[in-house]
Amino acid sequence: MSDAPAKAVADRLVKAKRLNALLTPPKDLRKSLSAQAAAARPTGVLYGMPVAVKDNICTLEFTTSCGSRILEGYRSPYEATAVAKLKAAGALIAGKTNCDEFAMGSSTEHSAYGRVLHPLDKTRVPGGSSGGSAALVAAGAVPAALGSETGGSVRQPAAFCGVVGIKPTYGRVSRWGLVAFGSSLDQIGVFGRSVHDAARVLSVISGRDPRDATCEDRDPLRLPTVPESLQGFVIGLPREYFPAELDPAVRRACDRAVRHLKDLGASVREVSLPHTPYAVPTYYVIAPAEASSNLARYDGVRYGPRFDGHADVRSLYRTTRGQGFGPEVRRRILVGTYVLSSGYYDAYYRRAQQMRSLIAQDFRNVWDRGVDLLFTPTVPTPAFKAGEKLADPIAMYMSDVFTVTANLAGLPAMSLPIGRVKGLPIGGQLIGQAFLEDEMIEAAYALERVVPATDEA
Amino acid sequence: MSVSREEALRIAQLAELDVDDAALPELAEQMSRIIDYVAQLSAVPANGTVKAFVPGPDAIRFRADEVNPAPLAFGPAEFAPAFKEGFFLVPKLDQFE
Repeated sequence: MSDAPAKAVADRLVKAKRLNALLTPPKDLRKSLSAQAAAARPTGVLYGMPVAVKDNICTLEFTTSCGSRILEGYRSPYEATAVAKLKAAGALIAGKTNCDEFAMGSSTEHSAYGRVLHPLDKTRVPGGSSGGSAALVAAGAVPAALGSETGGSVRQPAAFCGVVGIKPTYGRVSRWGLVAFGSSLDQIGVFGRSVHDAARVLSVISGRDPRDATCEDRDPLRLPTVPESLQGFVIGLPREYFPAELDPAVRRACDRAVRHLKDLGASVREVSLPHTPYAVPTYYVIAPAEASSNLARYDGVRYGPRFDGHADVRSLYRTTRGQGFGPEVRRRILVGTYVLSSGYYDAYYRRAQQMRSLIAQDFRNVWDRGVDLLFTPTVPTPAFKAGEKLADPIAMYMSDVFTVTANLAGLPAMSLPIGRVKGLPIGGQLIGQAFLEDEMIEAAYALERVVPATDEA
Repeated sequence: MSVSREEALRIAQLAELDVDDAALPELAEQMSRIIDYVAQLSAVPANGTVKAFVPGPDAIRFRADEVNPAPLAFGPAEFAPAFKEGFFLVPKLDQFE
């Protein structure tokens, strides 16, 4: 490949600099893209396609800081399987994207490297935690990007920024090289300008990996064709996802999308997922518990910078962790340590594990009644103002109310743009059955063709 | 408040996390709000027969018991804060409890 495409990719990314969405310095980006373009395999299915990568996914080309001071300047000695598969398919790794520190947040305001701006309104957030990836795709800087999900960190920013975001089934994509946050919930996800862009990247990164025991021994996802109609599809509307307090414009956009689904021939019926109200509290026990364990490894001994002011090894741990982690990560480590500590384990952690089972059973009950897919709003509101929810962690957590359930149940889910309110995008969510991403993508293909995604709802 | 300042400090020590004295009241207050919020799970009747849900493969796949290290592009000397002759260097250990 000549150097011209690599230069054009770098130019587009540098032009989007005002968003603070990319953490890779322009000089490093240009140098690496030229080298990658020269080495890219022309026979790959993604030959020449630039894909930006969230900063919590390990790459050899660029540093991996997870948006944290505690990993500032960290160079991984290996790369994620998903990244290796992208490169093997001829894609260009187009730099590392800004994110909430260790993927903990819903607004990309919790990055040690500054907040990411919403591409359509700089006073608003792009969502999070993969806000940098979503913003770059929405700004047209790259056609696709990798993000990661623990509770909605791909779908929520995709909805806020007006792009497509897919979270695959737990076990569909290898987690090797994805920096661990909540290991029973984490999955690499994909952003795209269109359903097809996102789906074809997902297809490339999916499939077995002997290095990740939680990755299923399955062939890569086969992409469906764009269907003529949705005849034969049964789509459920869970009533718990359409509460009275739902933003009226979000409701209007969903109603319009449902009319389109019916026009396409799908049979639409109301269903119930009765344990949904407990999903956010369940998530905010399990995810911090797993985080407090996973983040114990950052102690100033093996990776990243070591902070001054220590006399012995224990004060080295405490100083490095106290100064290296930001406020939201500290909060979650403390909450996780609390719920796992003696005397509280049964009251919180065990109860949350049981509730997770009931939430997963809710979905199985719906599938058993012949429902193929669920359609819901992705987020209860459009993108909120920067700073609006920073002082209130619970208000921030409620932004994930419609997305955490798919993570808890390990199901595939995706967001696609279905309309706008005062110029701000609204996302519609499809939730599918485990390892039936092809059906979910088929319905998304059909809906994408007819829904007026940029029209006011 | 469900989490006192003393309890927040004890948890921070368990988590090996330095917390400023000045920041402690606000941290205890925020932890309390989060703990009070997730405590709504206790309103649901405990059911001893419900097993914990674990996503992923139904059966654990066993692999051959072989040492099979992942290839590293470079060694720990490149990313460790202090590394010498195959060891990560740390300060003295004598005050470790």
